[in-house]
Amino acid sequence: MIALTLLMTFSAVSANAQNKDRRKSFKSWDNYEITTEKVGVDGTKFVKVWGFGKTVDAATMAAKENAVHACIFRGLPGSATAMSTPPICPNPNTLETHEDYFQTFFAAGGPYLAYVSMTTDGVPSGTDRRKVKGGYKVGIYVQVMYDNLKRKLEADGVARKLSSGF
Amino acid sequence: MINKSVFTALSLVFLCTALSAQEKIKEVVTSNYNRNSVSMVCVQRGDSYDSQVSSAVRSFSLGDKYDINNITTKSVRLDKVRSESAYQTEIDGIVNRVGFAREILASIFNRDSNGMMDDKTVRYRGNYDAKDQDVINARASRVGTEALGDLGHGLVSGSYIVLTDFSKISRDVDTRGNVTWSTNAQAFVYQIGMDRDALNDFYEQCWIYDEDDQATRSAKRLAFQNLDIPMVPVAQANATGASSSVEAAANMCIRELITKLENRIPAWEVAVAVIGKRPLRAKIGTKEGLKNGDRYRAYSYTEDRGGNLKSVARGYLRATEISSNTGMAIGETEPSKFYQISGLANIDEGWTIKQTNDWKVGVLAGLKAGGLGGTALGVDIDYLMNVSNVGTMSYLFLTLGLDVTSGNGNYLPVQFGLGFAYGFHLTRFLEIAPYAAIGLEHMGLSVTDSSDDRFTRESALILEPGVRVAANVAYPLQVFGKIYYDVLTIQGPLYKMYNANLAVPHSSGAGVEFGVKWTF
Repeated sequence: MIALTLLMTFSAVSANAQNKDRRKSFKSWDNYEITTEKVGVDGTKFVKVWGFGKTVDAATMAAKENAVHACIFRGLPGSATAMSTPPICPNPNTLETHEDYFQTFFAAGGPYLAYVSMTTDGVPSGTDRRKVKGGYKVGIYVQVMYDNLKRKLEADGVARKLSSGF
Repeated sequence: MINKSVFTALSLVFLCTALSAQEKIKEVVTSNYNRNSVSMVCVQRGDSYDSQVSSAVRSFSLGDKYDINNITTKSVRLDKVRSESAYQTEIDGIVNRVGFAREILASIFNRDSNGMMDDKTVRYRGNYDAKDQDVINARASRVGTEALGDLGHGLVSGSYIVLTDFSKISRDVDTRGNVTWSTNAQAFVYQIGMDRDALNDFYEQCWIYDEDDQATRSAKRLAFQNLDIPMVPVAQANATGASSSVEAAANMCIRELITKLENRIPAWEVAVAVIGKRPLRAKIGTKEGLKNGDRYRAYSYTEDRGGNLKSVARGYLRATEISSNTGMAIGETEPSKFYQISGLANIDEGWTIKQTNDWKVGVLAGLKAGGLGGTALGVDIDYLMNVSNVGTMSYLFLTLGLDVTSGNGNYLPVQFGLGFAYGFHLTRFLEIAPYAAIGLEHMGLSVTDSSDDRFTRESALILEPGVRVAANVAYPLQVFGKIYYDVLTIQGPLYKMYNANLAVPHSSGAGVEFGVKWTF
């Protein structure tokens, strides 16, 4: 009984700590690099994005999250071959207002994965795979299903439809 | 006084360390390799050898690794006697006079006598150079794979000319009347000094369109003639060669020059990422001129606290199974396979491997004890013939032994022979190679005997089976040990006599050898 109580207490503390970390990381989730590679095929954005993680796989997943995060909150920078793209949710308060929604959306294996595909040939390699203090920093090419992502957020009431202003 | 000296010494150490660190940061090896195009040009001296050396340069094949720019100037003239070598400044002067950059552009853009050009070659080269990642990127972007040909415009700056000069050509005839020609050779490499902006200017000022009127066409033709694009010296190499003809000796030199130049021009060194392990695989092959046994060096990347990128050398590997990739990439290029031969860490997916040519020649020097008898100095020269996926390696080797204890001024036992070894790698650090050699032991310095078969009569036939174990110390340095059994078979009559006069006559027996090996 004591053991069960201890286990439950430990689990609760652990889950709380994880949520805390997640909230903390949401607030500081701006420290990544992203560049627009070329104009993507219709409805998509083709970007190169960097991620950090303890392993190459973790860093790759982080990079995918970053790509979707950028489309939603930051927007995509322009390049020599592509125009810049504004964020789907330009309102800076969106994250706080819909924090629970995004906790679920960006959870490990969460819905965000349906809107991003890695187009790197094989594993991140060469100078796109760097050992840094505490883990790896990788750069990957990804295709973000931008239009689908936008429609999903609009349907879920997180992003405003363009027509809603009229 | 002491404090001042210590301070000065420490400052110097600090300065050297800082400079060295800066140098390391600059020397970041990347996997950005693109095909280069080369034109071979012969430097003539105005003598009877011109036709032969020109023929050697013209017929030399650079293989599949390079595109060839078919420029009009195939040879240039240096007014200097053949017995003297050419200087860089002399070649610079010639290159500046000829206007090679214009010829290269005319070749790449198929410029005709009317000044009309097209981009067929550029587009073909762009498609041919495209890697799987380029194809995947093109598919993910709106421009599509049709735009892969545009990559060819970026390859224009990778155009080089190699001027090869031959000097000190000499003819030697041995006592049997065999003729040997030898020559020195120098290669001077220049790269077209054309960046993206200069290329855009070229398109704007010199490209004639169908709708251009005559005045515009004339102006563009004139602009092309007045193009002032420099050829920038990038590397130089020397070689020597000897063969039965001048042409063959020159050909031998060019081969050596190209190998050396590939180690001196970073853009010529193929670099690519490892895409898989067990076995190590990378997407290069015949298109990059890859051959079995070719040596590559692996690098991983780190960032320092300042965010500076650094490449870290992690070990060497050799190509084992070569894929045929001489077609356009479609995103599914078959990789070649490699075997790691050195390095503490296992080479990992995603690391960069870069071409690091060597001669595949190992020189072994050691001390022998036992065998036929006495203590001998041993020197072996082996050539790596083949490497398999599991790391077995075939060697052909020449062996030489000099018995320094049994012989005297008149009877100096020398052993020499030819052998074959087959190496197994239990780990990448340790190679066990059973081998067999056949050779002669020669004994005696009977100067008064000038008969033709003297050498045979003073020699004995030896067979030597054995096992060689080599361990990496700091590649390419290895230590090795050999255990073998020398079988003394057919003996010449003089050999028998000299052998009997030795303090300890040579006979069949087991021996050991220990020494070091260096791979060149």
